[in-house]
Amino acid sequence: MKNMISEQYQQAVFDTDRQLALQIVQNAIDNGVLPEEIVFDIVVPSIEDSISSVSERRYTNLAQHFMASQIAAEVTEMMVPLFRQAPEIVGKMVIGTSSGDFHGLGKRIVKGCLKAQMIEVTDLGLSVPAERFVDQAVELGAAVIGISSMMAHTARSENGSIGVRRLLKERGLEQQIRIIVGGTPYNHDERLYRTVCADAWARNGIEAGAVIVRLLGEIRP
Amino acid sequence: MTTALERLFLTAQGIPTDRIPVFCNMLEQGAIELGLPLKEYYSKGEYVAEGQLRLQKKYGHDNVWGLFYVGKEAELLGCRNIIYASDGPPNVGDMVVRTLDDIEKLKVPDDITSHPAFAEIKICMDILRRECAGRIPICAYVTSSMTLPAILMGMEKWLDLLMNGPAEARDLMLEKCNQFFRKEIRAYREAGANVLVYANAFGSLDIIPERFFRELSLPWIRRDLEEGGVEGVVYYCGGARMNPVIDQVYQATGIGTFYLSPLDDIATGKGIINGRALCGGVINDIELIDWTPEQVRMEVKRMLQAGMPGGKFFFGTILMPMSVPEQNIHAMIDAAIEFGAES
Ligand code: B12
Repeated sequence: MKNMISEQYQQAVFDTDRQLALQIVQNAIDNGVLPEEIVFDIVVPSIEDSISSVSERRYTNLAQHFMASQIAAEVTEMMVPLFRQAPEIVGKMVIGTSSGDFHGLGKRIVKGCLKAQMIEVTDLGLSVPAERFVDQAVELGAAVIGISSMMAHTARSENGSIGVRRLLKERGLEQQIRIIVGGTPYNHDERLYRTVCADAWARNGIEAGAVIVRLLGEIRP
Repeated sequence: MTTALERLFLTAQGIPTDRIPVFCNMLEQGAIELGLPLKEYYSKGEYVAEGQLRLQKKYGHDNVWGLFYVGKEAELLGCRNIIYASDGPPNVGDMVVRTLDDIEKLKVPDDITSHPAFAEIKICMDILRRECAGRIPICAYVTSSMTLPAILMGMEKWLDLLMNGPAEARDLMLEKCNQFFRKEIRAYREAGANVLVYANAFGSLDIIPERFFRELSLPWIRRDLEEGGVEGVVYYCGGARMNPVIDQVYQATGIGTFYLSPLDDIATGKGIINGRALCGGVINDIELIDWTPEQVRMEVKRMLQAGMPGGKFFFGTILMPMSVPEQNIHAMIDAAIEFGAES
């Protein structure tokens, strides 16, 4: 039965049909499916499904990413309080847009996707200076700093990823903290993440999850 | 000698001319020419016009712009805070629509040409018209009803409203943006613009699903253009891809020019247009920051080889980032002029 629910849920998310997706979850709960199963066996696989190249459901537009992330975050938020045991957190990260950049959508999508994957994300908001990224990561014990930029000049700025890298070096934090970047300029130039001294980038919020899990894995002994 | 305007006109008719038209969209670069900080540069129509004229003289491309920055449209609708950077375009720093109630309150000026935010545009356009009319195409930027809400309420809130409703609020927002659009395109035409870049990121399947495109984007494209017609209108998705929608947009409107995304395959785009309209092949100008002049030249050559067969083709950029080195701008335009002359 869970397979069938999962299939229906995935299709609803793909069709950006939030109402239907939430209804499917509600029906499942009413039929005795556990909240843990909803998150780990239905929501998370649906995120994976959307990036898997074997799936015929390839997410092609921004609205789908937006809705997939919103629905995943919404369902996860509803389910976690119902868990029998508090879920184990995979890792912690901070996220924000780079200094001078006021485009918050990319960040929001990424955040929603990560929530369901049990990555604890703290949102530092818009136009975050390099210093603040590092200070906050240290204070919160975050192992990954995520920086979103929608414009070429904010991606490349000395006060963006490049500045964060410099601070990590100066403070001897490079072993503990990884930098992931994303946003339009990176999608247009796949080597840009290296130019700005980041450790990784991701094309969309859905791929970001997998990449961040990998980065967290690198840090763990 | 063929003027830039004749070149565009002839190419659009499919009549061979000396070479293909070469568009290069530079905005902030005008401030560099004038040695002014961006905030000061954008404060006066005289400066922007002078910047455009100097750039055109210096690089020899075939167009000038009456656009300051896209956020101007938000200013015309009440935005009071524009955030300037020293090294890139200004951004909207204050959302006019924060709540659904604000949509109701959003006021479209009766006469946008008398709005203070239009005054400097008007000054700029008057100078451009005086200096370029009949010689160089003057471009204006008009954002579609489906896309304008992105700078009035933010991408995040607009996508939310679009996808999740309520439908009444969404439709009211679109209605008001459409009222604004009709006035804006008329104002620019009257001010002398002959190329009207119809910016519609939400008219690309990279941004919204097919169903939304059919049920919302397409009807609103029709409504945007029904009153003023499609003369001089260029379909442009803000850098997002358009090949999959070209046929539908053409069928619905008869728009005469499609300005592709750098991510669209040029030959495929031309195949879809199939001689019915003019096709702009567009370079990925973000990459121009790092390329060598030789790489730029080779890329231009590749693009023209894909686009020129069969005619009705021109070369263009999106919006050149400020950090593209001058030598790359020269390399790009010179290559487009050189290879664009071969028939
Ligand atoms: C829609 C759009 C617009 C809309 C809305 C803009 C807005 N958000 O406010 C409109 C038409 C109004 C517009 C205007 C402008 N735009 Co615009 N716009 C676009 C377009 C088509 C999509 C950008 C967008 O919002 N995407 C939404 C984001 C969320 O999508 P995404 O990048 O795919 O996000 C995913 C990934 O990047 C990733 N991701 C994002 N962040 C992060 C972070 C981490 C840590 C990770 C891992 C992943 C990740 O996950 C996301 C979700 O899946 C792009 C071109 C393109 N094809 O992308 C240009 C583009 C971004 N715009 C551009 C520019 C220049 C502008 C203007 C500044 C133009 C001007 N001179 O005025 C104005 C600014 C308006 C303002 N805000 O004041 C340029 C920027 C490049 C540059 N040269 O610097 C682009 C690239 C177009 C171009 N090639 O020239 N724009």
